[in-house]
Amino acid sequence: MLEVKNLMVFYENAIAINNVNMTCKKGVITGAFGANSAGKSTLMYTISGIMLDIKKKEEMRGGERITVLGSINYDGADIINMKPSERAKKGIILCPERRRIFPESSALENLKIGGYLATKTQAKKTLEYVFTIFPSLKELQGREGGFLSGGEQQMLAIGRALMAQPKLLLLDEPLLGLSPRIEAILARTVKEINREIGITILITEQYARPIFPIIDYGYVLENGGAVLEGTAKELMENPDVKSAYFGL
Amino acid sequence: MDILIYGTVNSIVLALIAVGFTLVYGVSRIPNFAHGALYVLVGFLTWSFINDLKINYLLAVTLSLIISALLGAIIYRWVLIRLRGMATSEIIASFAVSLIILEGLRMQGIGGFKGFIGPYYILPPFIEGKMRIVGVLIDFQRLIIIGGGLAIVLLLWIFTHHTKVGLSLRAIAQDERAALMLGIDSDRAAVIALSIGSALAGLAAVIILPLGNVTAEAGYKVLIDAIAVCIIGGLGSWAGAVLASFVLGFAMIISTALFGAVWEKVVLVGAIILILILRPSGLLGKQKELEERV
Repeated sequence: MLEVKNLMVFYENAIAINNVNMTCKKGVITGAFGANSAGKSTLMYTISGIMLDIKKKEEMRGGERITVLGSINYDGADIINMKPSERAKKGIILCPERRRIFPESSALENLKIGGYLATKTQAKKTLEYVFTIFPSLKELQGREGGFLSGGEQQMLAIGRALMAQPKLLLLDEPLLGLSPRIEAILARTVKEINREIGITILITEQYARPIFPIIDYGYVLENGGAVLEGTAKELMENPDVKSAYFGL
Repeated sequence: MDILIYGTVNSIVLALIAVGFTLVYGVSRIPNFAHGALYVLVGFLTWSFINDLKINYLLAVTLSLIISALLGAIIYRWVLIRLRGMATSEIIASFAVSLIILEGLRMQGIGGFKGFIGPYYILPPFIEGKMRIVGVLIDFQRLIIIGGGLAIVLLLWIFTHHTKVGLSLRAIAQDERAALMLGIDSDRAAVIALSIGSALAGLAAVIILPLGNVTAEAGYKVLIDAIAVCIIGGLGSWAGAVLASFVLGFAMIISTALFGAVWEKVVLVGAIILILILRPSGLLGKQKELEERV
């Protein structure tokens, strides 16, 4: 479904993504793991097209020069130069790092805004679905996004992304700063979403343990390059991964 | 009682002028310095339609509002889109557009065009006549301003809270990048915001202008009023703009009643200075109260 080929991203002369090749198969959860500054968020921004917007803004204020090279194939077409809104229309939806909930809108409004690309019937159906997988959101729907707790915000962010009718859902560090209990709930829910509505998911995380059980295929990123890849089982048995990501 | 009623009228006049400006700024972070020019332009267009082309009042108003909305979209598509993100250039460019419109209206001699100068340009009030409310004489046009102003604020609230396009505008205003991720196009949102903002400037013009005559200079005054209200209310805050127009509106009327009309402008500028010293982000500006939670 998604095929990233020889992707390179530079901030000025510093390399953020170094020759990454990556595939996400349809209906599968793919994981990308790496420490801080391994290039996870840059990768997500580049796939979702937000990088083009960042690039334009940097150019306008005379800031950093950003260069993107390589190709991103999605459903048989190269999308490397496509606007982020067009990519979203094609079903690539990013649920960003640190959630970026609209702070002054209520939870329900956040979800409604998420449904911008959906038709009325789709929006209604997805809203019900979001409330079934995250029942706590239903109770908090009137509360302003900025006053929700971290875990609730993350549920809201995932729900909001689902409202946009994704075909490929990009989850950027969805477990950042959450308690182990909520981590487990969210990981389970992501798996459920993948199974029940068949959305392809690409998920990045620093800490692999809670995510490992739910992924089908994984990549390990280091200093912008993909150094390892394999099925969840293969990665788990790799001694380097064991020591670096599981502390064994 | 005089102060209460005329203060309310004055406040709503300010709110009408400022609400379009703050809508544009809130959504696209563009300070639209052509706001006052569009206000005046709609006044003259409506006058021309009525007097030169002999169109009926309502139709003339609708036509000039449509033209104003289109102009807003054109200003963004042709001029401002090239400067997005360069704040100073946005101000200079939109002020240039404002100068072109306002000075163009006053220009004489090209193709027999006499320029809109002089006291002949008066829009008729919607309904002639006056009435007494609790002992204060007030004309119907001022009552229409009160009613129309409240209706517009209410309609805008409904639009931004209960329609898809309105919600997308608010999404962009709150977090542009997060909105982009959901498929909302920021250029499209800015075009919509500018057309609505320009149409609102025009709507303010047709409601307010029948009180006096239409002059090109009013464009600058309207612009200053709009900026003052927005700075005091907190740039980009819609509730703040409404609150600030009431504060300013009453302050202006009260100072005029007590010290004379000269003090109106002093109060306006003094209020800006005061708010910049005491609360730089405005009455209801974003204070970063809602820090993100990790």
